[in-house]
Amino acid sequence: MRYLMLVCVAEDLQLSDAESAEMDQATMAWVAEMEGRGVRVTGDALRSVSDATTVRRRGGEVLISDGPFAETKEQIGGFDILECTDLDEAIEVAAKHPVARIGTLELRPFWLDDGDH
Amino acid sequence: MRFLMLHRIDEAATFERADDPGVPGSVAEQAMEAWVSEMEGTGVKKYGGHLRPSGEAVTVRVRDGQVLVSDGPFAETKEQIAGFDLLECAGRDAAVEVAARHPTARIGTFELRPLVRP
Repeated sequence: MRYLMLVCVAEDLQLSDAESAEMDQATMAWVAEMEGRGVRVTGDALRSVSDATTVRRRGGEVLISDGPFAETKEQIGGFDILECTDLDEAIEVAAKHPVARIGTLELRPFWLDDGDH
Repeated sequence: MRFLMLHRIDEAATFERADDPGVPGSVAEQAMEAWVSEMEGTGVKKYGGHLRPSGEAVTVRVRDGQVLVSDGPFAETKEQIAGFDLLECAGRDAAVEVAARHPTARIGTFELRPLVRP
């Protein structure tokens, strides 16, 4: 079963240099462990929401605006695609991610566009 | 330049049959398939999927060593993330054009997020 794991953190969260170095290292260790287990398919970090663009089309007109779609305290800062046997494994994998300590991980099961529905 | 394109849709809304990509054979489903095959063919779309309803979302946090699991998405917003695509585009303008041509642009909102890694 595939899960999209959204990595959410408060955009105004301030980490010291040491904390941020520790988070980077712990994240790299998590990536190496989960890729080794064959659980993590891909993933990446997103730039700040100030670089976000929203797009919609209404009545044939394309409406573009800057900033994220939702003005929530926590914003999506990254994502991972996980291949897990079930939700329990996905929760175990998410709980091991270092951001789980300072932010929130949202797990969303999904169907691949080109896979069977 | 890589972008994560998040599809936001009001899950409570009901759509005209023609606008509902979930209805097999609908105009929207055909437009969606055409968009996917075009963007995969040109190498713009690297990966993507549609998500099960946000009611099946689970959020995970660890505080003081304790794993806290709760049902539902992290943000209680009217529109919820219903799908995503990983795009490779020349820049923001190209990504906007790709998003605007997706059939869901008519009924939902796309959020384009550039990746840290170019």
